[in-house]
Amino acid sequence: MLVVALAPNFDDPGEEVLEALRAELRCLGAALLLIGTDHSFCFRPDDELVEEPSTDELRLWAAQLFRAQGVESEALTPETLLLGLLDDGGSLRWHTRRELDGDPSLALLEAARLAAKSALAPAPIGVLSRREVVLTSLIGALSLVLLEGCKRSEPQRPAPSASAVSSLAPAPFEREVTLNVNDKDYRLSIEPRVSVLDALRERLGLTGTKKGCDHGQCGACTVLLDGRRVNACLLLAVMVGKRKLTTIEGLAGPAELHPLQEAFVAHDALQCGYCTPGQIVSALGLLREKRATSAEAIREHMSGNLCRCGAYPNIVKAIEAARDAGGDALPARAT
Amino acid sequence: MRDFDYVVPKSLDEAVARGKQAEHRFIAGGTLLVDLLRLDVERPAALVDLNAVLSERISWAPNGLTAGALARNSDLADHPDVRRELPALSQALESGASPQIRNLASLGGNLMQRTRCAYFRDPGVAECNKRRPGSGCAALEGYSRMHAVLGGSRACIAVHPSDMSVALLALDAIVRTRRSQGGREIAIADFHALPGETPQVETALEPGEIVTEVFVPASGFSRRSAYVKVRDRAAFAFALASAAVALELSGEKIATARVALGGVATKPWRALEVEAALLGRPPTRETFEAAAKLAANGARTTPHNQFKVELARRVVVRALERAAA
Repeated sequence: MLVVALAPNFDDPGEEVLEALRAELRCLGAALLLIGTDHSFCFRPDDELVEEPSTDELRLWAAQLFRAQGVESEALTPETLLLGLLDDGGSLRWHTRRELDGDPSLALLEAARLAAKSALAPAPIGVLSRREVVLTSLIGALSLVLLEGCKRSEPQRPAPSASAVSSLAPAPFEREVTLNVNDKDYRLSIEPRVSVLDALRERLGLTGTKKGCDHGQCGACTVLLDGRRVNACLLLAVMVGKRKLTTIEGLAGPAELHPLQEAFVAHDALQCGYCTPGQIVSALGLLREKRATSAEAIREHMSGNLCRCGAYPNIVKAIEAARDAGGDALPARAT
Repeated sequence: MRDFDYVVPKSLDEAVARGKQAEHRFIAGGTLLVDLLRLDVERPAALVDLNAVLSERISWAPNGLTAGALARNSDLADHPDVRRELPALSQALESGASPQIRNLASLGGNLMQRTRCAYFRDPGVAECNKRRPGSGCAALEGYSRMHAVLGGSRACIAVHPSDMSVALLALDAIVRTRRSQGGREIAIADFHALPGETPQVETALEPGEIVTEVFVPASGFSRRSAYVKVRDRAAFAFALASAAVALELSGEKIATARVALGGVATKPWRALEVEAALLGRPPTRETFEAAAKLAANGARTTPHNQFKVELARRVVVRALERAAA
């Protein structure tokens, strides 16, 4: 999705308006292409704002884009703002025209908010002619090329240097860490913002640990940290230090499943299976806490693991069975 | 998530100095801060990791409990001395969050918990005086079922979400801190700030000041204490209303009472009028019900959160019955 705005000259909209614009763009999942008389800018929600000189070519295709919707941009006065929503197929789904009587950047924000609202409404029935479809598709393709030129944002502090914009340059805060996972050391160069969950999945290829909510609410990412269950999404990889991580991949022996894994299979304690690695690792943490004393206690102490299929009754049964079979052992190498 | 620097100070003094720097945030367990970073509510230049300079030690002595700011919520809840001597504290900790989060979350971080106000947690909402001072409060005219009925202002009605802090308030805890001039002690009642006109100021801490440990005195009422929490689910949810209470009995009469409320106020809330109404009375349901009527005195409600007034009263009664049993 691309938000295209054709407008008279804009100054820097200022940090507050820019933040609010970013929020609307995030909501739309869109980038903004603003074409002023002298300057244009194109940015995605997390990009920095970089102005480029407007070219006649750019203004021309924007004018064509709106003309396809019956809006004559030649009739625009310096006090008019045109803003449209271009979908991924290159079709203009919605547009608005606003007369400016005040801060143009506030009018831009207002128009972007309307666009965000319109995007929530059901898609309109297409009424474009064949010729218009061809035209708007071309414009859509062109806009994608322009977007390629967007400047990716870099951390605000320290001030990004021009060379840091290149995605090939190392991130400024990256550092070397060693993660011990399932008793094996992995050396990584990593940014402080990377969670253990992302490090496991994206860097180490250990995708058994699942990303559900990424906010510590669902438990799909549960791992053991020195034998105790934690949410891998809430733990920054740079903070782990020498402590040992155990993931679902570390539970089974060379030839046999862990007793908890066996119990989950035997009791059919899953449907889609997405939450299951988290459930099993969490259950191992629970058994090690010696608190699985009753079905009620299991339900209470497994409350950090959600199952949207609703396999809870069998999850409780599986944990009771594993408890009775002495299934609280960590794999020997991780103790 | 935006990028940021990460600093591991070598001493507490260095941590204080680092914490004073612009847009530096302390991190201990990280269970809330990482969430807020991901929501784009917090946008620090750097995180200052306190794990190397604080203690997780929990120790009980005849005069009370001393716990390091890094004591994990689960360790504190599960500590046999805490269970026996300060049941309200153990119960409050057990009722908060999930086992996974309690294993990471620290005592100091729990004290510093930020509100769960949905408008605060959504940077797409322009109005939030906590997040952007002076921008207004979206909750005042918005959906406010979870919001405070006590201690609110025209600038903010966000609830303080900590269970643990409510228990600490009922138990007269003392927060020990370190700042550049040295250490100091802050009574728990003075630790959390009312929103007033400056809801962005949430505690009495100065820039760079660090909670180092918490002391909970042994008292005539600390053993006879309880925490009761009512929430939308049976587990892993924030309080709609909660109460930490403690009683000291003399013969058949209540000699001392402590009643603190959670989930209904902008900070952990001491219900002094309820305490006064309990004094000198027998610990019966009749006494508790009469006193609990005063629990939400001065409440200012919205159409969405009116129910919290009656809920708070009932939670107080149930907690008093549990403590007296």
